Amino acid sequence: MIATAAFVCLIVSLAAQAVFFFRKDGKKDPVSHWAALAAGLLLAAEMIRRSLAIRFVALTSMYESLIFLSCLVAILVFALRFMRKLKTERAIAFGATALAIVFLALASSPLAPDAIQPPVPALQSGWLLLHVSFTFIGEAFFAAGFVCAILQLAAKDEEKRRGYDRLAYTSIAIGYPLFTAGALVFGAIWAEKAWGVWWSWDPKETWGLITWLTYTAYLHFRLVRKNTSKLMPILVIAGFLIAMFTFFGVNFLLTGLHSYA
Amino acid sequence: MKSIPDKLYDGLRSVKLAAFLIVLLAILSVVGGIIPQGRSEAFYLQKFPGQATLILALRLDAIFTGRVFLILAALFTVNLTVCSFHRFTGELKKPRKNRRHGPDFLHIGLIVLVFGAMLTARTRTESILYLAKGQTGSLPDGTAITLTDLKEERYPDGRPKSWESSIALEGGAIALVKVNSPLRLKGWTIYQQDWKSGARALFEDAAGMRFSLEQGARFAIAGGSILFMDIRREQPAEVGADEYSGAKALLLLEREGKRQVLSVGKGDPVGLFSFEGFEKESISGLKAVKDKGYPFVAAGFAMALFGLFLTYIRRLKGLFA
Repeated sequence: MIATAAFVCLIVSLAAQAVFFFRKDGKKDPVSHWAALAAGLLLAAEMIRRSLAIRFVALTSMYESLIFLSCLVAILVFALRFMRKLKTERAIAFGATALAIVFLALASSPLAPDAIQPPVPALQSGWLLLHVSFTFIGEAFFAAGFVCAILQLAAKDEEKRRGYDRLAYTSIAIGYPLFTAGALVFGAIWAEKAWGVWWSWDPKETWGLITWLTYTAYLHFRLVRKNTSKLMPILVIAGFLIAMFTFFGVNFLLTGLHSYA
Repeated sequence: MKSIPDKLYDGLRSVKLAAFLIVLLAILSVVGGIIPQGRSEAFYLQKFPGQATLILALRLDAIFTGRVFLILAALFTVNLTVCSFHRFTGELKKPRKNRRHGPDFLHIGLIVLVFGAMLTARTRTESILYLAKGQTGSLPDGTAITLTDLKEERYPDGRPKSWESSIALEGGAIALVKVNSPLRLKGWTIYQQDWKSGARALFEDAAGMRFSLEQGARFAIAGGSILFMDIRREQPAEVGADEYSGAKALLLLEREGKRQVLSVGKGDPVGLFSFEGFEKESISGLKAVKDKGYPFVAAGFAMALFGLFLTYIRRLKGLFA
């Protein structure tokens, strides 16, 4: 019910943005960011409700991960409105809102059962919470980078392309340390505590590493290639698609230790 | 004109080389991420009938321990080391307020991590002990541990809630091992790795004296022994019934030089004894690990985290400036 209300808020936000999107006077709509914030808060409330029910932080299933990711992206959409230096904020907010809707739609699909279940022993760990939360906060920034990279490829104006490129880089530069800490460092520490191995080449770990290597390659290519190169947005898009495959695809196509999320 | 060592140094510290190696490692990881690793030959022949020969010939079934991956990883480590040295010394030449040491800590952390991982690969010792309550087992170095108690809690829907093993150490001290809460002991780390239920076979003699045997154990009798080999179910237990109801014990009875395999149900005679059914017991699977690479891997992670933190703070300042 709460998640449905959040979904409606995001639809309202997207619709309001769409109405104002094509206005030439550049006037911003007065409601979309508030609707996005409302969606984020509702999703946070849903997580708190589930956490109270299981007496543990509700971040241990695919459904909970998806609403957390959607919540983060919705709050990012709200925050974008206050980054006054951004001239291209409208397009990025629009893309990010659409992504938050996609995540929430996936959460309501049969792929992500919403049953409230307390965690099995291996999941009862503070390191797991750090692992999941930092990974998804990093991925929320990767989502923003993904939208910027698509806009960069679509833009015809050189100045706009540069603007999107700078924003994509900023998003990745913020998301990368968080993702590295969450997915690789905290994940490895949790694995050591739970299973006695830092790393076991489990499919989810391997694909997490591939995501990290893709963004690492992006950050290093930035140092040696021109910013206008199409390789940059392509790597950002590839990185996000790989991150999403790591999140969803591995669970359904490959088996391993991460069968629960 | 640069000298050969200078050229070599420039080549090894090159960011282009780093980016190139990262891409190659990513490509190999994709292959290793798609093709299941470390399975039997029969698995690949069944799952990839058209490509199995190629997979096995190119060792794509063991990418991450294969020569190509390890050589690339070694080259990347050399590149990272030279790069980190060059970058770090370069940063030291800058005014203090302009220095950015976040990437340095991250890179050096990764180097320490690689060293720790290599040490782990060469020195790690691991063994698993399955102990029932009251049983004593030995770690590979001979240290004895006794399982004094084990607790299992389940949620109403039957899923496990907690697994805990109480262990008596040499000298009598008691320590607790839980999932996610391993015990560090004399250089060993003991993890609550597994939990399963087993069954002991119960016997009774004519005088009413009882004894039980765990699966695989032998009991000496006059002129021979009884070995409890296996549990046989001819049909699955009915829903709600005891899981061992109707099950039979497969025994090897040795008497006066003769061997006889018996499949016995409750009340059946076994020599001078009668089989009295099964007694359920919980068994704790404890994994004991000794790893000299552990402190280096932990230190590498700590350095990498510190480097990430420094980098993150700087990025955030830049975003909201």
